[in-house]
Amino acid sequence: MSEPLIQARGLEKAFEKGRIVALRGMDLEVAEREFVAIVGPSGCGKSTLLHLIAALDKPDNGRIRVGEHELESGRHLSRYRARHIGMVFQLHNLLPSLTALENVQVPMFELGLGRRERKERARRLLALVGLGDREGSRPPELSGGERQRVGIARALANDPPILLADEPTGSLDSESGSRILDLLETLRRERGLTVILVTHDAEVAARADRIVRMLDGRLLGEEWAPRPEPVGAGAGAQQSAG
Amino acid sequence: MTFSGLILRNLFRQRTRTALTMLGIAIGITTVVALGAVTAGLRASSSAFVKAGGADFLVAQRGASDLSFSTLDEQVADQIAARPDVERATRVFLEVADTPGNPFFFLLGYDPGELMQEPLRMLAGERLSADRPDALMLGSEAAAAFGAGVGDEVRLEGRTFHVVGIYAADDDWRDAGAIAPLRTVQEIARKPDVVTAVHVVAARPRDPDRVAAAIEAELPEVATIAGPEEYGKVDQGFEILDAANLAISLLAVGIGAIGVMNTMIMSVFERTREIGVLRAVGWSGPRVVRMVVAESLFLCVLAALIGIGLGVLASRLVLVVPAVSSFLTPAYEPAVFLRAVAVGVVVALVGALYPSIRAARLSPMEALRYE
Ligand SMILES: Nc1ncnc2c1ncn2[C@@H]1O[C@H](COP(=O)(O)OP(=O)(O)OP(=O)(O)O)[C@@H](O)[C@H]1O
Ligand SMILES: [Mg+2]
Repeated sequence: MSEPLIQARGLEKAFEKGRIVALRGMDLEVAEREFVAIVGPSGCGKSTLLHLIAALDKPDNGRIRVGEHELESGRHLSRYRARHIGMVFQLHNLLPSLTALENVQVPMFELGLGRRERKERARRLLALVGLGDREGSRPPELSGGERQRVGIARALANDPPILLADEPTGSLDSESGSRILDLLETLRRERGLTVILVTHDAEVAARADRIVRMLDGRLLGEEWAPRPEPVGAGAGAQQSAG
Repeated sequence: MTFSGLILRNLFRQRTRTALTMLGIAIGITTVVALGAVTAGLRASSSAFVKAGGADFLVAQRGASDLSFSTLDEQVADQIAARPDVERATRVFLEVADTPGNPFFFLLGYDPGELMQEPLRMLAGERLSADRPDALMLGSEAAAAFGAGVGDEVRLEGRTFHVVGIYAADDDWRDAGAIAPLRTVQEIARKPDVVTAVHVVAARPRDPDRVAAAIEAELPEVATIAGPEEYGKVDQGFEILDAANLAISLLAVGIGAIGVMNTMIMSVFERTREIGVLRAVGWSGPRVVRMVVAESLFLCVLAALIGIGLGVLASRLVLVVPAVSSFLTPAYEPAVFLRAVAVGVVVALVGALYPSIRAARLSPMEALRYE
């Protein structure tokens, strides 16, 4: 493996003056174009990890490097978020008063694109997620799966190299959930995206290149997906202590 | 979608609140505009009176609190008239008469001889003559108000006058008033041998400023007024009005800013989570500030425009009262409108300052977690 795209070392993060410790020395490396699933019990710090990588919050200790960006510097973070990270939330987090097309355009203001270009780009993205015919609908008029797809289109608005998804299928039935996953997989293949996905669902996790298990704010172990050659169930999995 | 489109969308979401906030600011600005237009109108009509009959300046008693309280000895007037650098000096006695429908009717006393020299446009009849103490000339507006014409009798201040002529004057004061012989008006006012003011035309080579300065130097008890800016020498009315204008503007700014601040704080507070989303998708703090400030600016500038419209309307409505229309036509100077827009902009910026900074300071994470 060449130099990883994302490299997180010894991440520590506590809340409420140290009373709640979310991360206690978490390490993670993700290669370019890799699809990583993060799993672990509720409260083990999965979302917190994702937020730190997205620079939505700062670690108390440890460092994160993404490409040539050192995140602790505290500066240019919104620029980093706008250009390098696409974030998909569990609860879509769309702006309710804007149409699907407008929601997708929101991140583009940071790019200095012209009005036409923003609109064209948003159109293409909505078509990409299969919502070309719902441009004018507002979030309350869309189904959960459709909202989530608008959320994915918005995450891709600025053509970021990294997509972070926090339980994107958590609120969906398994069929809509699997459509979202198909979409993520296609996007990764066609756009060369690096994807980190947090999930509770073993079936969802199984579609990743690698499963990262967390427990209590630490890395518990990693499993690589079986190679294309048929191997015994679970035998191809490798374990490494966290 | 443009940035301004987004801002409109945000404002439109809380229609009622936006409308009520705008209404509050608009009312404040209505007051600013109406009072401003009335003050400017008063200035214009007073300065028209100062220059009445082609005069270069007016001489009145220094330090009088109101022009109508000014008294000059006729002797002083004669002294001015006798100066070689004065071509023409017209004495005038200003009496405010109480008429039915107009408690501020201007009855002006002129010496019939001096009046002959005045460039006054006669619409009917003739001017005063020295042998008729009960003769009266009516301004065109006053003639219409009284419904009187040449040959009719008019009662003023308990006296019966005979209308000998109707004239048109450029200034509201004279057009809505009447002119009677100086002696008669002095008798009515029980102030013989004094006049209110003297209109002066400087002699050739005309240098009115120098003549005015020379008169002030020679006669310390008088003040010369060439324009509205000098009016304060003989009338504190404008100083009071200017102070009132300033006070109303400041009040409008203060009340407006508090209202806008309240609205914007609420709006930012309600949208905490959305602002978190905006930050999460890459919006910078300054862009969030710009969004909130732009919302506030849009709201306030629109309110200012509405306020200007209402203010013009209000200042027009004032004219329905004949007593007011007789001495005042509201003047709509650009400065009044600029002041209104400035009030709107200051209100917007002051009102948005704290809410926008608060919005930008939110940590993206906390904002996203906000329920
Ligand atoms: N802003 C915060 N303030 C206080 N506590 C927090 C905050 N964010 C996270 N925590 C706490 O930190 C711990 C880890 O939270 P995190 O959201 O990362 O867990 P998670 O693994 O994503 O859980 P889940 O699977 O339920 O989403 C939890 O105990 C949580 O309550
Ligand atoms: Mg979580």
